[in-house]
Amino acid sequence: MAAVQVLPVATPPVPASYKSPSVPSSSRISAPHPSGHRTLLPVGPAYLNHLRLSLHHAHSFSSLDKHLAAERERLAALHGDDVAAEDDLGVGDEKETDELLNLDPKEWKKQDHYAVLGLSHLRYKATADQIKIAHRKKVLKHHPDKKAGTNKDISNSLYLAGINQNTNDDAFFKCIQKAHEVLTNSEKRRQFDSVDPLFLELEEDIPSLTEFKAKNLDFFKTLGPVFELYSRFSNRQPVPGLGHIDSTKAEVEGFYDFWYNFDSWRSFEWLDKEVNEGSDSRDDKRYTEKKNKSERARRKKEDNVKLRGLVDMALGLDPRIKRIKQQEKEAREAKKKGVTPGAPAKKTKQQEEEEKKKAEEEAKKREEEEKVVRAEAKKAKAAAANAAKKARRQARAAEETA
Amino acid sequence: MASTPAQNGRADTPSRPAPSSSLPPVVGINFGNSYASIAEGLAESIANEDGERQIACAISFHGEEMYIGNQAKQQLVKNSKNTITGFRNLLGKKFSEIPQSEHISSAPVIQHPDLPDTAAYKVQVLQPAPSPLPPASNIGTPAASHAPTPRSEPTPTERILTVSEVTSIFLKSLVQSAEDFLGKAIQGAVITVPATFTDAQRAALQKAASDAGINVLQLLDDAAAAAATTTTPLWTGENLRPDRTQLLVDVGCSAVSLTLLSVREGLSYILASSSIPDIGADKIDDKLIKFFATDFTKKTKIPLTVCPAPANSPADQRAEAKLRLAIEHTKRTISASPGAATCSVESLKEGMDYTGSVNRMRFDMLASPIYASVASEVVKLLASAAVDSHDVDEVVYIGGTGSLPGLDDRLVLEVGLREGVETPFARGTVVGGGVGDPTTILARGCAYQAALIDSLSDSSEEKELKEAFTRGHKASDVKATTKTLGVLFPNSLEGNKELGGTWIPIVYKETALPVRRVVQFDAELTEASKRLAFEVWEVSEGIRVEKIVPPAPSPPSDEDDEELEEIEVKYRVVTKDTLLGAVDTQAKLAVQTKGKSKDAGKWFTTVEVQFVVGIKGDVEVEVSEKGEGGVVERLHVSSL
Repeated sequence: MAAVQVLPVATPPVPASYKSPSVPSSSRISAPHPSGHRTLLPVGPAYLNHLRLSLHHAHSFSSLDKHLAAERERLAALHGDDVAAEDDLGVGDEKETDELLNLDPKEWKKQDHYAVLGLSHLRYKATADQIKIAHRKKVLKHHPDKKAGTNKDISNSLYLAGINQNTNDDAFFKCIQKAHEVLTNSEKRRQFDSVDPLFLELEEDIPSLTEFKAKNLDFFKTLGPVFELYSRFSNRQPVPGLGHIDSTKAEVEGFYDFWYNFDSWRSFEWLDKEVNEGSDSRDDKRYTEKKNKSERARRKKEDNVKLRGLVDMALGLDPRIKRIKQQEKEAREAKKKGVTPGAPAKKTKQQEEEEKKKAEEEAKKREEEEKVVRAEAKKAKAAAANAAKKARRQARAAEETA
Repeated sequence: MASTPAQNGRADTPSRPAPSSSLPPVVGINFGNSYASIAEGLAESIANEDGERQIACAISFHGEEMYIGNQAKQQLVKNSKNTITGFRNLLGKKFSEIPQSEHISSAPVIQHPDLPDTAAYKVQVLQPAPSPLPPASNIGTPAASHAPTPRSEPTPTERILTVSEVTSIFLKSLVQSAEDFLGKAIQGAVITVPATFTDAQRAALQKAASDAGINVLQLLDDAAAAAATTTTPLWTGENLRPDRTQLLVDVGCSAVSLTLLSVREGLSYILASSSIPDIGADKIDDKLIKFFATDFTKKTKIPLTVCPAPANSPADQRAEAKLRLAIEHTKRTISASPGAATCSVESLKEGMDYTGSVNRMRFDMLASPIYASVASEVVKLLASAAVDSHDVDEVVYIGGTGSLPGLDDRLVLEVGLREGVETPFARGTVVGGGVGDPTTILARGCAYQAALIDSLSDSSEEKELKEAFTRGHKASDVKATTKTLGVLFPNSLEGNKELGGTWIPIVYKETALPVRRVVQFDAELTEASKRLAFEVWEVSEGIRVEKIVPPAPSPPSDEDDEELEEIEVKYRVVTKDTLLGAVDTQAKLAVQTKGKSKDAGKWFTTVEVQFVVGIKGDVEVEVSEKGEGGVVERLHVSSL
């Protein structure tokens, strides 16, 4: 299709009084210069298209359009093969927003390192290879050497004097380098992943118990993704999922067991306050470090409490727990009712408990009896002793009087 | 080991780096008479090994050495008899056709001793003595040492070089520089050729290039090379429309060529051209050299006569040669910065050094006669093409002298170009080797062209296309419109009284047929009717000149009673000639503008107008609203 010229004009409205003139059917454009009067300069793609038009397509624009479209498709196919040959492990190309490009490298702690490398669709799942590829892609695009000649303001006298004005040109490149540094270091990456900005954002959205009840949310649809979100922090993988309404008792118990004993690698060093490197004061440093440490511990505790609360909430809301309890009850009742004669060999838990209770009671009884016996024996002994005393006193008194 | 003794100074040739994928292996060469430049496939100018983008067309022989380029130019001072310059213009000319008075400052042009009526250069060189024969067999004879036998002293001889050979050597060195830069073999080149070259001269250039091992894809006229650069998307400007009238001003060393082009969306043809051989940058050089020589005499009391230096005074000749080299730098400084430019020569004459400076104003005064003659030639050219100076939309300068701001100022003033005419100075793209740099325009254009031809495959269809790029192919002869076509939106605005509406030109005059133009713009509608109506007209454009007495400056600044002169003010006017059609319809996709701008609340629709003018003069007009379900109207004007 021909290039469209967009004119910055807006024509005013047609007056109501305007009447379309009648066009004489004989009107023609004035005769063009005869062929040969003007000779085209044989240069440029436009001339090539003109040649195609006049030599191959009999001056028909639609025919030329078709040809050019076919040509473009062919080239696109060729190009597509090229792209396919180079596997980027699904890194792809993410759109770079202006906001991203204008990041301040000084504020690198606050930037989203995955977004900077164009990995925001992978985040904590990105492998080391993917990070490497993404970094290379970004560097190829944003290296300061690539930008040296792209100064728009050429008329500026500074430019004429050969002074590079866009000293801030490599700002985004610095951001890229920082992001690469963080994401390739496993310790730093762990710290960053712990406070991944996207995660924090999603964490905000977790509904509270009251919200849950007020909005009558679906248990599985709401909490399933939440546990999925947290599962990234587990040291033990794979993490059991929330499951579905028909999960077995063992699965459900396993799930709650896992989450009540959740073993998390999440830590909060990333949010540490910078130790003031400028001052040499050891005390200062120690103070900050101490504060950081306690802050970290506080955050970790908070996190644990939060997760605990989440699991509690889930347990409280879980429709399966009710179901399981109901089933147990039913089973018990069924047991009670139908004590099948052929089944004594197989003692149920309840029976066992009852037996145990009985045995305990018996033992108690025995003890009590023994106690009573012992007390009586003691009484008898004491009575005997008293009697002996009495006898001795009487004997003495008898001697004195005598 | 014994059979192949290691030779001194021999190393394995380094393997070439892997060819970088994106660059096509082609170059564009701007081959001028005094300077040449090269550009690679993406049209960036290449510097040679000495870091020069402007490579002097000079070859110098000194002993066993051969210098090419600006190094050779330095040899003009001490070794002028063995230095060859200005050979391009002699290409393809017979000896008898060359005026004998030229080239006194370099190697003399002589009749070739063997070939009839062929011009040649005779230079003194040292021929290297033949290397000592390798020992036929050293079996049986005890080898005394592994050191090779030293060469004997070279012998002085005379070497006769034809103009074609000199050109081959030079072009080969250019291509070599490009290959070193690109790291791969060059498979084709587009070379500029002046429009004044005869067919014999073109053939001679082609032959010299193929002797140098260059596959010449196309010999491109200077004007065409410039057009190739100016029609690329890189060539941008504020008021630069794809349809424009362009004036090329090529100030070479020895000649000025002027070309008036009609550029229509990348297709361009020459409306008029002229070449003036006796004015050029050399004349400016002469003036400047004379100025510095007078200054030198004034400062040192040593008499110095230059331009021309007396034949019997080698000291003066040498001084002139030295100054000629030194002012290159002066001129570049003048072009680049508004301050004064210096000129320093060590031991100009009789052991005295010279340092002087010239500021822009003084320089422009010196060059004023040359500027004036260029301006008058431009006026003549415009008159011959019957184009008013007001109609020139863009001026493009070519060559190092084109970087002089004084020339631009003078031309705009004397020719009476329209205010807001696009020049590289107005855009500020003159210096810095960028796309608007007058010194690289031609090489860039050639490189674009080379890449374009290189992209064509070898199928029979594409071969036919390749052939059509040669000069004088019949496909380049075209019919062209003589009047402008466009649409008129009727309204009664104050400024549109004469025409009765807003005029939007779509197919300009001097556009090659067949042509298709698509234009998109907004049309305002009334809320009640949403009526969209316009007429299609063929119009003639003209210039209305009004003489206005400028209002007197309110506080009479000076006491001199200068009479206020009348100033000519030019307006572009349009007169309706033929009504070709009319459309009256209802818009379907009108949108009310929101927000707080002054257009808020008004109804607009975006209209796309397509004009197709066939080879026989039939016109198809299609008007459609942009978007799905918009109204579409078609008009047809049958052929003549």
